[in-house]
Amino acid sequence: MTKIIYVTSDGASTTVDAEDGSNVMQTALDNNVPGIIGQCGGGMICATCHVYVPPEFADLLGPVGTEENDMLEVVTTGRRPNSRLSCQITIKPELNGLTVNIPESQY
Amino acid sequence: MSTLSQEAPQASNVPVADWFDHTFLYDDPLKISQRMRQEGHEIMYIPMFHMHFTCSTALGRAIWNDPKNWCNLRGEIPLTKAIGPNLMFKRGEEHAKERAAIMPSLRPKTVQEAWEPVFRRHAAELIDKLIEHGPGVDLNEHFAVPYAARNLAAIAGLNEVPWQDVAKWSHAFIKAAQNQLDDPSLWPPAEEARNGVDAAIDVATPRLKANPDASMLSSLVNGPSQIPLDVIRGSIRLGVAGAMNEPQHAILHGLWALERHPEQKARLLKDPTLFPQAFAEVMRWLPPITAVPREAMNPVTVHGIDFKPGQIVVVQISGANRDPKEFEDPDTFNILRKPRPDFSFGGGEHLCAGIWITRATVQIAWKMLYERLEGLRVIEPEHTPWFGFVYRGIEKLPVTWDAVRAA
Repeated sequence: MTKIIYVTSDGASTTVDAEDGSNVMQTALDNNVPGIIGQCGGGMICATCHVYVPPEFADLLGPVGTEENDMLEVVTTGRRPNSRLSCQITIKPELNGLTVNIPESQY
Repeated sequence: MSTLSQEAPQASNVPVADWFDHTFLYDDPLKISQRMRQEGHEIMYIPMFHMHFTCSTALGRAIWNDPKNWCNLRGEIPLTKAIGPNLMFKRGEEHAKERAAIMPSLRPKTVQEAWEPVFRRHAAELIDKLIEHGPGVDLNEHFAVPYAARNLAAIAGLNEVPWQDVAKWSHAFIKAAQNQLDDPSLWPPAEEARNGVDAAIDVATPRLKANPDASMLSSLVNGPSQIPLDVIRGSIRLGVAGAMNEPQHAILHGLWALERHPEQKARLLKDPTLFPQAFAEVMRWLPPITAVPREAMNPVTVHGIDFKPGQIVVVQISGANRDPKEFEDPDTFNILRKPRPDFSFGGGEHLCAGIWITRATVQIAWKMLYERLEGLRVIEPEHTPWFGFVYRGIEKLPVTWDAVRAA
């Protein structure tokens, strides 16, 4: 199990024991974490699982793919250099302690 | 829906909607949810369908967000009988692969760069024709249908066939897809539509291999992986079935809803930045697709209800979109409502792939119609006829206007 910490825009924090091989979006839905909608189930269609990730995890997450990049262009809360779609972050042991910040709105 | 054969289709402890009879099939399905709420239930079992219906967004979302335990229907249903096997009834990696093969044509960037100019051109040409017809013209027949069909033919990549054929095929698919009562006259037109689409694919494919474009068929035949012909046919048939009815009806539903709410119409026309919100609210309030089912694959408990494999829950979309636990004052049409995720495009891995296309086509149509036709309004909106059960919409919308503005 890998610990993932979700922090909403009002500062509320939820820590979840995530299943390796799942992803940060699905883990949020499975654990009723507020603020991540994940309307398309990870198909990179909806852009409603936007999160901000800390820079120190950037290397572990790998680069933003072309499709993810296109979808990040249409997120409703401002894209930043550390913006990611949480459906594209696969849970693995190295991500233990990853804190993702959830934007105010996904829609 | 009567072809399902599981032995125990009803989950225990779910109340039976013994009041449901065939008259509901010809009426507004929102009435099912209203009746359920009156009786204090968020989910009920409907014996005629061997299915549960829910009007709860939370329950629907719990199911749609759980792809490990819930899938699209596995038995033969009218939709699969109408259009044949397609990605909508696949799951996991198989589904993701087929979906990825068409998505380059449907992503927001492609919509903006490749499709919006096409939609604007189609709308401009059709509005010129509306003006020739003059006030009193039926906006469904002379705008919504040809606009949606021409856009669809372009997006699918079927340029060699007249839009009238695409419209005819799409209507045949939709009629057969909701043929729960197994009317035998509805299957042959669907077969003709399958053959028509397949033949159009054969004609278009060499052109698209020589000159790739942004269309779905081009993405399928020129993509990085080899896609089998039966998969190509399934994906394009699904596109033809699904991508016409929704924008056609959403355009009409929006004009109708705005006509019924003149203050909001005036506000929208004064402030066009509200169009995206207006679109979201029209889709919530008057969704063109009113029912989306899921089938349990494993024993699973949702909201305290134990479901067995094979048991089915239909999210009654129009009802769930008016869930008072989710939407404040849910029966009120309010374009100033902050958009929230609703069920109008489905959800989970089967979220409608055309969501960005539809957002664009519908808003472009509204904006251009209101811009060119000054004082555009629906004639007698209180008498507008509605049709359909699963796919429900306006089929005739006479409009008038005061003056024509230059293009």
